[in-house]
Amino acid sequence: MKLNQGTAMVALLAGFAAAPFLISDYNLRILVLALQSAIAVIGLSLAFGWAGLIQLGQAAFIGVGAYGSAIASMRLGLDFWLAMPLAMALSGLVALLIAVPMLRLRGHYLALATVGFNVTLEIIAKNWQGLTGGTDGISGIPGIRLFGREIETDTGYYFLSLGILAAVVVFAMLLRHSRFGRATIAVRDDEIASGTSGVPVVRTKVVAFVISSALAGLSGALYAHYAHFIAPADFDLWRSISILVMVIVGGEMSIMGAVFGAILLSFAPEWLRFVGDAYLAVFGVAVLLVLIFMPDGIAGRLQAWTRTKESRRV
Amino acid sequence: MSQFIQLVINAVAVGSIYAVVALAFEIAYESTGVVNFATGQLVTIGALLGASALVFTGTHFASAYLLVVLGMAVVGLLFFVGVFMPLRKQPAVTIIIGTVAIGIAVQNVAQLVWGSMPIGTKSPVGSQTLAFGGVVVSLHTLYVIGVSALLILGVYLLLYRSALGSQFRALAQDPEAARLMGIRVNRLYSLTWILVCALAGIAGLLLGPMWFIEVSIGEGVGLKAFAAAIIGGFGSIPGAILGGLLVGLTETLGAAYISSAYKEAIVFALMFVFLLVRPQGLFGERISDRA
Repeated sequence: MKLNQGTAMVALLAGFAAAPFLISDYNLRILVLALQSAIAVIGLSLAFGWAGLIQLGQAAFIGVGAYGSAIASMRLGLDFWLAMPLAMALSGLVALLIAVPMLRLRGHYLALATVGFNVTLEIIAKNWQGLTGGTDGISGIPGIRLFGREIETDTGYYFLSLGILAAVVVFAMLLRHSRFGRATIAVRDDEIASGTSGVPVVRTKVVAFVISSALAGLSGALYAHYAHFIAPADFDLWRSISILVMVIVGGEMSIMGAVFGAILLSFAPEWLRFVGDAYLAVFGVAVLLVLIFMPDGIAGRLQAWTRTKESRRV
Repeated sequence: MSQFIQLVINAVAVGSIYAVVALAFEIAYESTGVVNFATGQLVTIGALLGASALVFTGTHFASAYLLVVLGMAVVGLLFFVGVFMPLRKQPAVTIIIGTVAIGIAVQNVAQLVWGSMPIGTKSPVGSQTLAFGGVVVSLHTLYVIGVSALLILGVYLLLYRSALGSQFRALAQDPEAARLMGIRVNRLYSLTWILVCALAGIAGLLLGPMWFIEVSIGEGVGLKAFAAAIIGGFGSIPGAILGGLLVGLTETLGAAYISSAYKEAIVFALMFVFLLVRPQGLFGERISDRA
């Protein structure tokens, strides 16, 4: 079984390394966007899957990162590698401002507050012409320079996004098995019990929310400098919902599942092109069916399935 | 001054629709534990069914209204069978996302059936206006306020002055105990969803002649009803009324005197202030009790 896992890992890495040379340019662009989304999805699975926070506004934080990084690089002339951490910090800071009062409240209050926050930011982005360019958005955002040269190909952006995503995956895995990771899950499972066991409940939730949002900011910054263009519609409530669906499809807890969910859902519109205008109806019903029949997500279901298969073989 | 009074009357009309929708949202939450993010889409369906029913009946209002209520009852039953029953044992989060998913699907189906052209509908009281001094209001505005008040009164009588109402409230307090007391819980759940959908649908009907109907009409109404529920406080009829009116006034007066582009942001700002200062709302439950 060890060997199986090892070969699976090697095959996965080889697949990711070979992917840009095997698929069409168009699919490569979607894959790059999927990898960038996956960073925000891992962030959300941390807040939502681990800590149990019903965050329905992740796109708002992706937007803060994207606008923050775009504005910092265009107005202040900062390089991406300075603008991006600044954007992450900005997303984290905004999250902190919201989290401190909101996370005293539970369940549906946070869900409604994050929806309200997402819509409010969208309205501001549409109307603050001077800063955000209004509904026209911001175009001409500079690309990313690496080792003194600007990345010009989709393949280049693919490997950059893959590298950053890999770093985020490693970070999340380390975090998962840290004291903080165990604390977030304890808080989700039972706030009162974990509180009396000495876990600082509110602080744990606030930190999970801030990390989640900072990762969304990172995802947004990457997106802005890759697409060279951002507009309020890229960060609307609908985007938040699709990020959340990526988490659910991947399985709330699983880090690789988040990556899988992001890739699957990014390609779903392509595969479902034959349903035409009924895409959202099919999408909504499909999500409902996943929730009913596979509450652990497709990845969780696959994992359980391979596990039983393996145990049978033994 | 007369302009101000006119604005306030219009705001009260819009606000009473928000109050009805907030009530639909809260009844679903209190009785079934579901935070229904598809509430706005139910309003859309009501408005669109209304437009079609008026065409179908040759603008015979009584039968058109009846058709809408019947149609919404069917929607409620579908919601009960297709969304609530399969998901009711899942964690609250899963159900919330289930309602979001079904809301997306419903809106898309509505778009496929009715198209994306805005539809104008008529009011049973016509399009006349009344003038008192310098204040001009349409008759429909007053009609909306009257019908909403009657609806809310009806819900109050149903919940607090009828045998069925005490069953509803028992269910809201403790479904297990209610079942043990011989209350037919599943039948009551299905009735709840019918009531919720009917209320949202009538709100859509009232909205029709005020705004042009298009498939996204309910989205904004749903969000503002959520804000109204938070401002007024969950689980309280006076809360829903006051919350709805406050949201209507904030939005209308905010659009007139502050900024029409930011009117919704102003409503959410008010909601955030309540979440910060008084999260239980004006008349609400103590929030620490609920997960």
